Amino acid sequence: MLASLSSLALSHFLMTGAILFVLGMIGFVTRRNLIIMFLCTEMMFQGVVISLVAFAMFHSNVTGQTFVIFVLTIAAAEAALALGLVVLLFRRRRTLDAGAWSAMSG
Amino acid sequence: MLACPPARILSIAFRGRFFGVCAVSGRSAGQPTKNRATSVILTPILLFVASVLGAFALVLLMPRPGRNLRPLGGLIAITALGVAWLSVALGTDLITQITEDKLGLPSVAFAYYYVFSFIAIASAVRVITHKRPVYSALWFIMVVLSSAGLLLVLNAEFMAFAMIIIYGGAILVTYMFVIMLASQNEPQHEEDIPEYDRYAREPMWACAAGFLLLAVLLSVYYSPNPLQANPAAAMKTDAELIETHLADRALKADGSNQELASSPSTSATKLSNAERVGLDLFESHPLAIELAGVILLVSLIGAIVIAKTHVPNEDELIRGAANAKETGA
Repeated sequence: MLASLSSLALSHFLMTGAILFVLGMIGFVTRRNLIIMFLCTEMMFQGVVISLVAFAMFHSNVTGQTFVIFVLTIAAAEAALALGLVVLLFRRRRTLDAGAWSAMSG
Repeated sequence: MLACPPARILSIAFRGRFFGVCAVSGRSAGQPTKNRATSVILTPILLFVASVLGAFALVLLMPRPGRNLRPLGGLIAITALGVAWLSVALGTDLITQITEDKLGLPSVAFAYYYVFSFIAIASAVRVITHKRPVYSALWFIMVVLSSAGLLLVLNAEFMAFAMIIIYGGAILVTYMFVIMLASQNEPQHEEDIPEYDRYAREPMWACAAGFLLLAVLLSVYYSPNPLQANPAAAMKTDAELIETHLADRALKADGSNQELASSPSTSATKLSNAERVGLDLFESHPLAIELAGVILLVSLIGAIVIAKTHVPNEDELIRGAANAKETGA
């Protein structure tokens, strides 16, 4: 068993990626601060990035790493738009509480 | 690939339990078949135990009213992570026995993996449990740095440094700006932290759902047909890539351009990680690059439009908030 502890396989990296993704998801659901909610989506991206690069290594095909560039692009675009919206919402209600906008849930 | 249904794993586990206990009891340690049976039975059970422990720990770690059980939660969380790693280590035996394929990383890489992924997961827990947004953002930088370390372990240097520069350098600075802009002043006491940062929203259900998802995701490893590296997906070798795309460099290797060929930065037969990524990016995904540019342009224009939106009665709102704070204090 010690031998198997000291060797790495694809599943190690997939596990770390999955844990980061799930922690981000839990954070998105439980936190009530709008900024932290979007920070948690970035954390989900981190988990996806680790899985993509691990798969790229596993199949010895670099396309998985190329895809990370597009993930970063989308993350940057999402951060710019989401933070702009958060600031706009903050200007209207003077609070970052997601519950302040519960009237929109219909 | 579809996940093996957990019910099936459990049925395998229970059918083989007696066999597994025999294998654990020691005398058959040298026999690979029985060892494998132990792995088949033990790893999913360990994995589910780790998921339940993790969910329990995260509920304890979440900010909520009542008694502070965070040290206990931290201990349980570390235990859960240890059990999960044990399960994956046992399962690695199983997977490599079937696929005969490891990642081909240097033998010391495992130590770096454990260190970086522990830091990443611990910081991720702090991100979602910290009461002050600024500290959450700082812990997120730790997540970015340590997952860049994991990418370095995977020999993806270009991606690791792109992540640090773009995430740690650009996106996180934007987040810090907005946090500073939107929080009135740094709270001195626990009671000054706004209520929406102090208490989590339904942590129990979220943790149960999240860790159920985690258990199902991870049980993919123990499906009857484990992941195999696809040999057809393997890229062209470096020599082929150089011949098709970097003919100048091949010429240099011939000796026609001695001083360039002998410089240490260019190698005639081996490509660096950044070169491989760049070749793949521009060879296979030219349309995607154009689309990425369009998306960035759209978000740029969108951000400007959002920032310039007029908020009716904004001065009154600011004054009202200031008054409310004074009366509250």
